[in-house]
Amino acid sequence: MSTTPVNTEKKTSPGSIAARFLKENGTLIALVALGVFFSFYEEAFFSPRNLTNLLRQTTIIGIISVGMTMVILIEGIDLSVGSIVGLSAIVVTLLMQSGINVWLSIILTLILTGGLIGLWNGFWIAHYKIPPFIITLGMMTIARGLALTLSKGGSVPVTDPIFPQIGGSYIPETASGIILGLGLIFFFYSTFRTMQQNKKYGIETNKLDIGFSVFIVLSFLALSFYIFTSYRGIPYPVAIFAVIVFVFAYVLKNTKFGRRLYAIGGNEEAARLSGINVYWTKILVYVIIMALSSVSGILLASRLNGASPNLGNMFELDAISAVIIGGTSFAGGVGTIAGTVIGALIIGVLNNGMSLLGVPTFYQFIIKGLIIIVAVWFDVLSKQKKA
Amino acid sequence: MGDIVLEMKNIVKEFPGVRALDHVNFEARAGEVLALVGENGAGKSTLMKVLSGVWPYPTYEGEIIIKGQLKQFKNTRDAEASKVAIIYQELNLMPELTVAENIFLDREFSNALGVINWSKVYAETQKLLDELNIKDFKPTDKIKELTVGKQQMVEIAKALSINAEILVFDEPTSALTDKEVDALFEIIMKLKKQGVCMSYISHKMDELERIADSIIVLRDGQTIGEVTPVKDLTIDQIISRMVGRDIKDMFPKKTFARGEKVLEVKNFEVDHPVLAGEKMVKNASFSAYKGEILGIAGLMGSGRTELVTGIFGALPKESRGEIYLEGERVKIKSPMSAISKGIGLVTEDRKAVGLVLGHSVVNNMTISSLETVSNKWGVINSAKEKKLADDYVDQLSIKTPGLDVNIDTLSGGNQQKVIIAKWLNTMPRVLILDEPTRGIDVGAKVEIYNLLNKLVEDGVTVIIISSELPEVMGMSDRILVMFEGEIAAEFNREDAAKETIMEYATGSRRRGE
Repeated sequence: MSTTPVNTEKKTSPGSIAARFLKENGTLIALVALGVFFSFYEEAFFSPRNLTNLLRQTTIIGIISVGMTMVILIEGIDLSVGSIVGLSAIVVTLLMQSGINVWLSIILTLILTGGLIGLWNGFWIAHYKIPPFIITLGMMTIARGLALTLSKGGSVPVTDPIFPQIGGSYIPETASGIILGLGLIFFFYSTFRTMQQNKKYGIETNKLDIGFSVFIVLSFLALSFYIFTSYRGIPYPVAIFAVIVFVFAYVLKNTKFGRRLYAIGGNEEAARLSGINVYWTKILVYVIIMALSSVSGILLASRLNGASPNLGNMFELDAISAVIIGGTSFAGGVGTIAGTVIGALIIGVLNNGMSLLGVPTFYQFIIKGLIIIVAVWFDVLSKQKKA
Repeated sequence: MGDIVLEMKNIVKEFPGVRALDHVNFEARAGEVLALVGENGAGKSTLMKVLSGVWPYPTYEGEIIIKGQLKQFKNTRDAEASKVAIIYQELNLMPELTVAENIFLDREFSNALGVINWSKVYAETQKLLDELNIKDFKPTDKIKELTVGKQQMVEIAKALSINAEILVFDEPTSALTDKEVDALFEIIMKLKKQGVCMSYISHKMDELERIADSIIVLRDGQTIGEVTPVKDLTIDQIISRMVGRDIKDMFPKKTFARGEKVLEVKNFEVDHPVLAGEKMVKNASFSAYKGEILGIAGLMGSGRTELVTGIFGALPKESRGEIYLEGERVKIKSPMSAISKGIGLVTEDRKAVGLVLGHSVVNNMTISSLETVSNKWGVINSAKEKKLADDYVDQLSIKTPGLDVNIDTLSGGNQQKVIIAKWLNTMPRVLILDEPTRGIDVGAKVEIYNLLNKLVEDGVTVIIISSELPEVMGMSDRILVMFEGEIAAEFNREDAAKETIMEYATGSRRRGE
C-alpha cells in the first residue's frame, strides 16, 4: 500500500521479508497498534458504530489532506484550507437560500471558492515566485473575512431538504457489501493486469510486493466489510472520500501529471530543464487543493445542517499533520496518498480513542503535538541511516 | 627580491578516486605578486583551500611553511591568525550589512559584556579605506549597494584588517569592468610596496604581464617547472606548460561525412543576470551540421554555458537572437518547446540541475519523455517504461543494481549515462552536452566519448562544451572558441592547435587576429 518512489533491494529470507514489511509500512503498523491499544482499554472503540463515526469524522480533514499531500509534494504549503472550508460552507448555504438548485449551488461553490481562489493562489506562487506560505497566509485571512462578511457574522441555516442528506446519509448495508465485493474483484483484476503487462514487456514481477499488497488490501476490505455491513452502511462522506483517495492515488502513481509533481518537488530546476511545464503544474495543484477544501466545507455544512463563518478553523494544521505523519517529506518529492490517509486515520483514532478513554482535551493537544514531532523524528532517523 | 614568506612543499591532496594535488612545490616572496596559472581543474582552487585551512591538516600531505615555521591549520581561523587571507571569486560578504560590519564581522571591538563600540568599528574601517586610498564608498554603506568591484575592495580591506601578509586573489577580475580592474591593480601595487606577499590566480595572459612578477604553472595537480620571473617567459611558453600532455589515445574519435546544416544561430545575445547593460553572450552566430561534433572551447565565465542554455530556451527573459532548425526559423521560449523541436541539453551541473536526486533510475530516465510510455489519457504503462529503461541500461552499458534503485547510488559516469539516455529518448535532432565528463573517472570518460561517436553515427547533431581543451580538440570536428561572451575564433579539426586556441580563449589574441 505504501509505495515510495524508490524500492529497496530484494532479499528473500523470512526474517528480512518481515523486516522489510515493517520498515516500509511503519505508519500503518503504528495505526494498527493504536487501534489495538484503544480496543484493549475501551470496548466501545472497536464497535462498528464507533468506527463508522470515526471514519466519518476523519473524512473532513482527510479530503483536505489529499490535496495537502500534493502541495507539500511540490515543496509548497497551503495555509488557507481551513478558511476555505468556512467560506465554501457559507457560500453553498447562501446560494441555496437565494433559491438556486442544490446541485447547481454545489457546482458554483466549487468553481468560486475552489477554482477561482486556487487560480489566484497559484498565479502568485507560480508567476511571481512568492513563497506559498505568504500567499496562502494572506488568503487564510481574506477567506475568513469573506466568510464573515457574506454571513454578516452569523450562521446560515440550510433550507434545502436534499442537502443535509449528502453528509448525513448512508449507503445501505447490502449495497455497501456489494460495493466492497466489487472492490475486491477490481483489485484482483488490476493486479492480474499488471502481471500480464509485465509479462508482455519481459519485466520480472516482484512477487513480494504483490504479496504485501494482497495482504494489506484483503485485511482492509475485511475490516471495512465488518464495519459497514453491521451498522447502517457506508456514510456518503466516507464514500466520497474513498473515491477522492483512489482517484488521486492513481493519478500520483500512474500518470504523467503525478510523475511531474514528484519531479518538481525533487528538483524544480531539473524538472524545468527536463521540459516540464512547472508553471501550470503548480497552478493546477493549488486549484486542486482549494477544490478539495471546498468539497470538505460543503460536506461539513451538509452534516451540520448549516454553516457558520468559523467552520474549519485550524484545519490546516490537522491536514499538515496528517501529511507529515504519513511520511511525506517537507522538502518535497517524497510521499504518497496512502501514507496521508494512514496519517489522517492516526489523528482520527487518537481523537476518538482519547475522548472515549476520557483523556482531558488539554492533554489531547499535548499528546497530538508530541506524536507529530516523533513522526518527523523517525523520518529524519531513517534518512540518516540510509546516508 | 624580498624574503621567502610562504613555501609549499610536496603538497598532496586526494579525493575519492582523484588525486587533485600531486606534489605541489613553490615559494612566494614578500613584496611580490606570484601568478598561479593553470587550466580549469588543474588544482588551483584546491591548493588555495589547503593554504587557507578549508581543507584542514591532516586531510592533505606535505608542508606549509610560513616565515620559516611549519604550519598545520585546523581551520580558517588558524590561517587568519597566521595572516593568510584569500579573496575568493565568489565574494563572502553579507549583502544586508554595512561595509564596516562586514569587515569586522565577529571581531567587533567590544567591552567585557560584549557590547560593541560602534564608533570605534566605523573609525577603524575609515582608517583602512584611507590606507587603500578608497574614496568611492563609506564604512556605513550597505554591501548590496556596491558594485562587484567595490565589494572586492571591501574584501581587500578586510584582509588588511587582519594585517594579512599573504594575500591570495582567486580570479579577481572575472566580474570587473576595465576601470575597476585598473583600481584593483593600483591597490595591488600599493600593497606590493608595503611588502605583502601576494598570489594571483588568473587565466588572462594580458593581466599577468601587467601585474605579476613571477609565475608558477599547475597542470593535473602538479607544478610544472619552477617559479620563474614573468619577464623570462613568453606567453607561448606559459601556455605550453599549461596544456602540454599527450592525449591521442584517450579520444576514440570517429569521423563521418558532414551532412546538411541542422542548427543555425544568428546574432544571439544573453544579458547578464544581475548587471544591467552587461552581456554574457554578445552577437554569437554559428552553425552545426549533421554528422559532426561541434566543440565549444573557452574558459569558465566566457559565456559558453549561457549561450547553450539560452538556445535551449532556459533563459527566456535574458536571451534573444535567431535560431533556425533545418532552415526553418523557430522560436524557443522554454525548455519544453526546445525539446518538442528536438533540442536536448545535458547540463553542466549534473547534481544540482540535471538529476532529481533521491528518485529512481527509471524515473530520472523517462522524465523528459513520459509521452513515450503513456497513453493518450496520460496514464503511464509502468511495464513498458521499465522495458524501455532496461533497454537503455543494456545499450549504454549502465552499471546499476536495478531500475528502481536511488539514482544517488550510481557513480558519476553512470549517472551521466542515465542523463544521456533520458535525452536519447526525446529523439533529439540536436544534443548539446555541457561538460559531459566533468567529475568522471578516465574509463567512464572513454565510454562517454564512444557514445558521442554513436550519436553522430545515428544522425544526431552533437555540440559539446568543455573546459578541458584536450577533450574539445580530441572529439570535435569543428571548434568554436569563446572569450568574454564572443565567439573569438573557429577552427576545423585539422587546423586546431592548442596554443592558438588558448591564445584566443585567454584574450591574448582577439577576434580576426
